[in-house]
Amino acid sequence: MLKRKPTTQVQIDMDKNIARRKIIGAAFFIFLGIALYVASNIVDELRVYQGATVAVYVVAISSIILLTGYSGQISLGHGALMAVGAYAAVLSRNYWNFPIPLTFAVAVLAAALFGALLGMAAGRLSGPYLAGTTLALAVGLPSLANQFKILGGEEGLTYDVGFPPLALGQDFTQYKWFFWIAALAALAATWVIFNVLGSRYGRQWRALRSNPTAAALLGVHVARSKVLAFTISSGVAGLAGALMSMTISLVTPSAFPLSLSFAIVTGAVLAGVTLLTGSIVGAVVLVAIPEVTAALATHLGGSEKVTSNLPGLMMSALLILSVLFFPNGPQLHRRKTRKS
Amino acid sequence: MSRIINTLLIGISGGSIYSLMSLALVLVWRSTRVVNFAQAGQAILSTYIGYVVVTHTDNYWLAFPVALLSGALIGALVDIFLIRILARRANSGPVAAIAPVIATLGLLGLIRAIVGMIWGGDLRRFKLPVTNHGFTFGHTTIPFAPINLLIVVTTVIVMLIFSVIFQRTNLGLALRASAFSPEIARLAGVRVDLTRTIGWAFAGAAGAIAGVLVTPTNYLSPNSLDLLLVSGFVAAVIGGLESLIGAALGGLVLGISLAFVLEYISSSLAFPVAFVVLMAVLLIKPAGLFGGKRVRSA
Repeated sequence: MLKRKPTTQVQIDMDKNIARRKIIGAAFFIFLGIALYVASNIVDELRVYQGATVAVYVVAISSIILLTGYSGQISLGHGALMAVGAYAAVLSRNYWNFPIPLTFAVAVLAAALFGALLGMAAGRLSGPYLAGTTLALAVGLPSLANQFKILGGEEGLTYDVGFPPLALGQDFTQYKWFFWIAALAALAATWVIFNVLGSRYGRQWRALRSNPTAAALLGVHVARSKVLAFTISSGVAGLAGALMSMTISLVTPSAFPLSLSFAIVTGAVLAGVTLLTGSIVGAVVLVAIPEVTAALATHLGGSEKVTSNLPGLMMSALLILSVLFFPNGPQLHRRKTRKS
Repeated sequence: MSRIINTLLIGISGGSIYSLMSLALVLVWRSTRVVNFAQAGQAILSTYIGYVVVTHTDNYWLAFPVALLSGALIGALVDIFLIRILARRANSGPVAAIAPVIATLGLLGLIRAIVGMIWGGDLRRFKLPVTNHGFTFGHTTIPFAPINLLIVVTTVIVMLIFSVIFQRTNLGLALRASAFSPEIARLAGVRVDLTRTIGWAFAGAAGAIAGVLVTPTNYLSPNSLDLLLVSGFVAAVIGGLESLIGAALGGLVLGISLAFVLEYISSSLAFPVAFVVLMAVLLIKPAGLFGGKRVRSA
């Protein structure tokens, strides 16, 4: 893209705005990083592990926010794309002994490639068709892993990122190491997405989402733009998959059930699907729901049948309520009510 | 030769179930422009209700109409209490187009959780109405059994009833009119909201029939119909999502091709084949093999 010279006052203002957005964003990320570092040293082991899970969900939810909130496409199959990333990472680790950061890169690339192929079909579909196709993928792809010996079948493959480096001290635990890796990756991924969304492409996607015909008239290549969104989103989902299998040290088909795909869509909708920073809220809610329902269940003393289904019930109820009351996310809702 | 015929018969029987599920999806799509992902949930709830009847009375033929009616009732309730409100509230903004997908998905999870709370997650057996031992001719027994015959015959009857309703009755005319153009139908005096709810009820009944027919050949659990939802969707897309005949034929095409792949190539290829068929139809002929010329943009 040619670097244009600002000529009019409006353009100068716009450039200033973009620059300010970048500075505020960078400051926010640095602050968040420091806060996470401090937090990981004071809370107990379980919370640290949950923090790692939150970081994984942040990455996964961001991929949906990019795809759904910005480009207006839906995917019920991001769990399957996470599986692609996870298997790619573990294979590159186990067979070629790649270093850990490189396995994450492999995960991103493999999932992005897969997503690009899927996106080429998906770019021609919309709404319910895309939802159904990706749903079929989410149902079928993980079970396909059972068919290939190299993927380890039902037992899966172990994914070992190794012990934390000794330089970090003797009492630096494994979970803390997971948390550091996941949090760092989440920050990096969010930072990249934040910048992509603020770029030309992010604006194109928003134009496309609101009115594809008008966007096409303004010179946005609709199909290519949609495929790009799907590819980037898939790559991010692949990273989330690799991170998730790191925290459980294992890659199995059953780690990527249909409910995982649904959970990240739920998280994105709860987060207000058009706001990137909402991904943290969504991720915290996803991790908190099982905790809250478990506490609720012991308090109420229900049977095993009730307690095991309580998280699903709560999550689905939240999903329905949020789509009924804040279909475009709480922040857009607020803006609209303030105007009227 | 006999192997081909046997495979064909099994394919027709499996395809009938897909046709029913696909019919349920198409009925809702036509009336409300929503792909109802909760259909699997509605069907499983009706099937569990049928299961309760069959375990208490030991009579499949009583469970069948009970499941059918509860399926219709559930469908109508879903339309009145979720879809109508959704249409009023989420009608503008960036995610309005996908709001129904998310809402029906949430409903699927909700129903599944409720079913799990009531009946638990363990696999259950649903009493067979007729035997699943294949018919015997002389000394050879074929895989096609009375239960498969029952599935095919019931599906044909259901399809006939639906086509009579749609082509020969005033209600059918109203259903077609409000699917074709709600505004004009309303001006012509059709009560469009009521008609839509009836469409949802019909769809719920069709899904419930699919549930009580397929479950005796398999087992019952809160998510045992999820795969059927995907197959039904593939069948509906093959048929073009718009036409009832397309739904029926799409189910048969999918059922027969799956049966041949399973029999002659490999049993592990069922899913990839279904997915490849779906992608191929969407890319090559997006209006469906039996669909009209209208380009899908919704």
